[in-house]
Amino acid sequence: MIESNKFIFKKYDIEASINRRTAIITIAKAGLFTILASRLAYLQIVDKDKYKILSDNNRITHRLLEPQRGIIFDLHGKPLAINRERYEVVIIREETSDYIKSIENLKNILPEVYIDTEKLYSEIKKTKKFIPIKVLDDLSWDQFSVLNANIHKVDGLYPQIGFKRYYTSGPSHSHIIGYTAPLDKKEKDSNTLADLSSAKSGKIGIEKSKDSNLRGKLGSKNIEVNVNGREIRELDRYESTSGENIHITIDSELQDYCYKSLNDQSGCVAVTNVKTGEFYALVSSPSYDPNLFSKSISISKWNSLTDNMYKPLINKSISSQYPPGSTIKPFVALAALENGVSEKREVYCNGKHEIKDTSLESGIKTFHCWKEEGHGKVNMNEALKVSCDVYFYQISREIGIDKIAEVCKRFGFGQNVFDTFFEEKKGIVPSKNWKLESIGTPWMVGETLSAGIGQGYFLTTSAQLSIALGQLINGGEKINPTIFLNRNKDTQKKKKILLNQKHLAIIKRGLEDATNTLGGTSYRSRISGNLKMAGKTGTSQVRVISSKEREEGLKKNNELPWDKRDHGLFIGYGPINNPRYAVSVIIEHGGSGSGAAAPVASKIFKYLFDNKLNLKSKRISNV
Amino acid sequence: MFSGSKIEATISDKLRSINYLLLFLICTIFFIGILALYSISNGNFSEWPLRHLQRFIMGLIIFFIMVLLDLKIIFRFAYLIFIASIVTLMILPLVGDEINGAKRWISFAGFSLQPSEFVKYTLILALAKYFHSMEDYHDNFISKLIIPGFIIIIPVAFVVIQPDLGTALVIFLGGVSVLWISGLNYKYFISGILGFILSLPILWQYLKGYQKERVFTFFNPERDPLGNGYHITQSKIALGSGGVSGKGYMEGTQSHLNFLPEMQTDFIFTMFGEEFGFIGSIVLILLYMAITGISIRMALISKSLFSKFLSLGICSVFFIYVFVNIGMVTGILPVVGVPLPFISYGGSSMLAVMFGFGLLTNCYINYNTTLTKSSFI
Repeated sequence: MIESNKFIFKKYDIEASINRRTAIITIAKAGLFTILASRLAYLQIVDKDKYKILSDNNRITHRLLEPQRGIIFDLHGKPLAINRERYEVVIIREETSDYIKSIENLKNILPEVYIDTEKLYSEIKKTKKFIPIKVLDDLSWDQFSVLNANIHKVDGLYPQIGFKRYYTSGPSHSHIIGYTAPLDKKEKDSNTLADLSSAKSGKIGIEKSKDSNLRGKLGSKNIEVNVNGREIRELDRYESTSGENIHITIDSELQDYCYKSLNDQSGCVAVTNVKTGEFYALVSSPSYDPNLFSKSISISKWNSLTDNMYKPLINKSISSQYPPGSTIKPFVALAALENGVSEKREVYCNGKHEIKDTSLESGIKTFHCWKEEGHGKVNMNEALKVSCDVYFYQISREIGIDKIAEVCKRFGFGQNVFDTFFEEKKGIVPSKNWKLESIGTPWMVGETLSAGIGQGYFLTTSAQLSIALGQLINGGEKINPTIFLNRNKDTQKKKKILLNQKHLAIIKRGLEDATNTLGGTSYRSRISGNLKMAGKTGTSQVRVISSKEREEGLKKNNELPWDKRDHGLFIGYGPINNPRYAVSVIIEHGGSGSGAAAPVASKIFKYLFDNKLNLKSKRISNV
Repeated sequence: MFSGSKIEATISDKLRSINYLLLFLICTIFFIGILALYSISNGNFSEWPLRHLQRFIMGLIIFFIMVLLDLKIIFRFAYLIFIASIVTLMILPLVGDEINGAKRWISFAGFSLQPSEFVKYTLILALAKYFHSMEDYHDNFISKLIIPGFIIIIPVAFVVIQPDLGTALVIFLGGVSVLWISGLNYKYFISGILGFILSLPILWQYLKGYQKERVFTFFNPERDPLGNGYHITQSKIALGSGGVSGKGYMEGTQSHLNFLPEMQTDFIFTMFGEEFGFIGSIVLILLYMAITGISIRMALISKSLFSKFLSLGICSVFFIYVFVNIGMVTGILPVVGVPLPFISYGGSSMLAVMFGFGLLTNCYINYNTTLTKSSFI
């Protein structure tokens, strides 16, 4: 019983203790429930707006819409650069938990396509996780459909329909149109399309120079996505703005014809309207397939293009500089006329012209005429016709280099023809100042003689030659060279850059005789019929011929290696009674102007006369 | 020899004495669970809601079995049940199914059970029997701390090595709540808390890398919003964006677009809160509070110490479940995988919690039953 009493006593004690402890714990539980309720009030009432935004950020994804690049049309409205649908796949790292698995699954779905996983993975690691990275490009429609059917197996991968550039006119247009390729590093900071994985920019030619007009503006859409980034529905959409279409003055048919006329020789052609300055053709040969670059080009293909000795990637019509050779003579003649040399002035050509040169053992430096035995007595007309070097040595020496330089610059030598092409070279018009500034030594008389026949330091481009001839032959009106069609022809009065029309008549006669009278340098390339062309050949040396070599007898061009042969040049205009076109043709290492360049120019003029002249009215209605 | 009511209560008497308000509240919360799971399944009843319903029915069966069992028998086998549950825990490393690197499940006759869920309650059973049978209520140290402490540590240790820190914590706190009720001197609790704080740097050494990450993440979820902090960040976004009245039933964007992790299990409160807003969350919390309150009242009328300890312990385990789960999804507690009773999709937790409330109700309807001391099995 004692034990039992003790038990009851204890029991009473423990009952009270339990009740007390339970009361405390119950209060604690109520307190903790209150904490939970307060926490929920804080999240769901106080902070609800903040979380609403975060929730929207989660579910709403911003997707960019690629704009269509502007279309490039030729003079007659033929599309030269268009856009085609392209099926591609991109990956967004943050939208997959395991991108390697997704790529592996993709490989299983499309076993026939090759993916450079190593390169891709390193790019994925380097790129911000929300930026789409291209995995596959240019899938066929079948592959694209298969992928779409299996899309649930590849988290983070998105099939997209984009656009790819397609060039309709083949290699003849490659250089002037240019091509587009993915943005390079520098552009990624500044290009307005940079956020787009498929963004491309023009790399050269018109694609580059008008890139900001052609590229258009990005559009965007907001879509609701699930946690894997799959689109559930579209919430809103701002359409992209297509790039501006660009109309150029290139006549696609003519361009093709000129390219074919070059017949795969290394060279270039420029065809200009002498009144408007519009370029109807700017051709460079050999060329490449412009559509090579709409896919990523293989290294071996790229190397075969860059290692090719004929430099197919270079637009020779504006980027390659050549000594003008005798094609400069009309301008030297003009300088002479403007500086008081009479057209009647006669020079006796015995095949060479000697000047004192104390640096040489003999004390005399000899300048040779291209015709070893000499031309005999020549006046200006005859000198232009037969391209007598000795005549031009003599009159150059009389008027001096700076007078020649002034005239050449006035007609566009030594300056860019276009202001739009970064790849354009502006050539060199040598003068006393120029030499002092760029070489640092004073001018020497012998250099005036070389310059007088377009050799020495003189450098020019095909486009420059055609525009210089054009604005001389049109009566000396300054023209604005252009490749972009301007529908509001400027009616401004053109600036005259020719001092005296009589001078032009003298030069024109010389050039007409050079082509159309027996003994002229380009007589063999003359065009018979009502419409004729006239022009000046040029043969420019690419090496110095030593006197020893001369004594041993000059080697014929075709005995020399290709890259040691002379360039063949021709500048011409036509029809001669109402000049409309100026054409320049340069055949790299073609041997001679009369043999290589003039026949090509002749074909082009013939084509122009037959096919283009009478279509003048049609062209206007078309544009 | 048992002492107690002379006339054995009939089954219908027992059924009549059940606290039907409690059962009603449980059913209400379960119904909310069905609603939530139906929303998660995008209106497909046959997936999660159906399984959940089946489990609840099984839970109800267990509940009624536990209610109808003779309390004396429960008392008698309390230690045995505890030991059996410990043995299942012990053999888990040998026969358990490994999921996500932890062996927590055991497959048995087509069912996959998580023994640790049941241990929460069997530990309370053992402790209740222990304190009921204790000889010297004045001996705070050996009788009230060392021996029960040992009983608690065994299951906790086995769950820790699974590893399942969250469940271990619930088991531990459940056990400690019984120690508290037993009247263990305050000074042990105070020194225990102090000791815990002081030993934190040492404990830290023993934490696994991902566990340390979780702690870091708890203090600053934005530190790694797509890794460890992802769950809690997304959960807060879901709750917060639900606002006062919610986004509407089946309209939760966070949940339906799968931004929420573990929606049907640990984070189900979040999806409910997103769709039903603050009003819905508070209603749910009030329901849980009501169950807790009613249970405590039911516990206190029991005459035997065993019943009291058992009922109060079960109340505490239930409360800890609710508090840790909601605390975790609202970002005031670290993320430890603890389900929300009656709502989270999960068989073991459903059966275990019904087992617990069955025991509690049994104590309630047999409040008059007195039990003798029993020193051992």
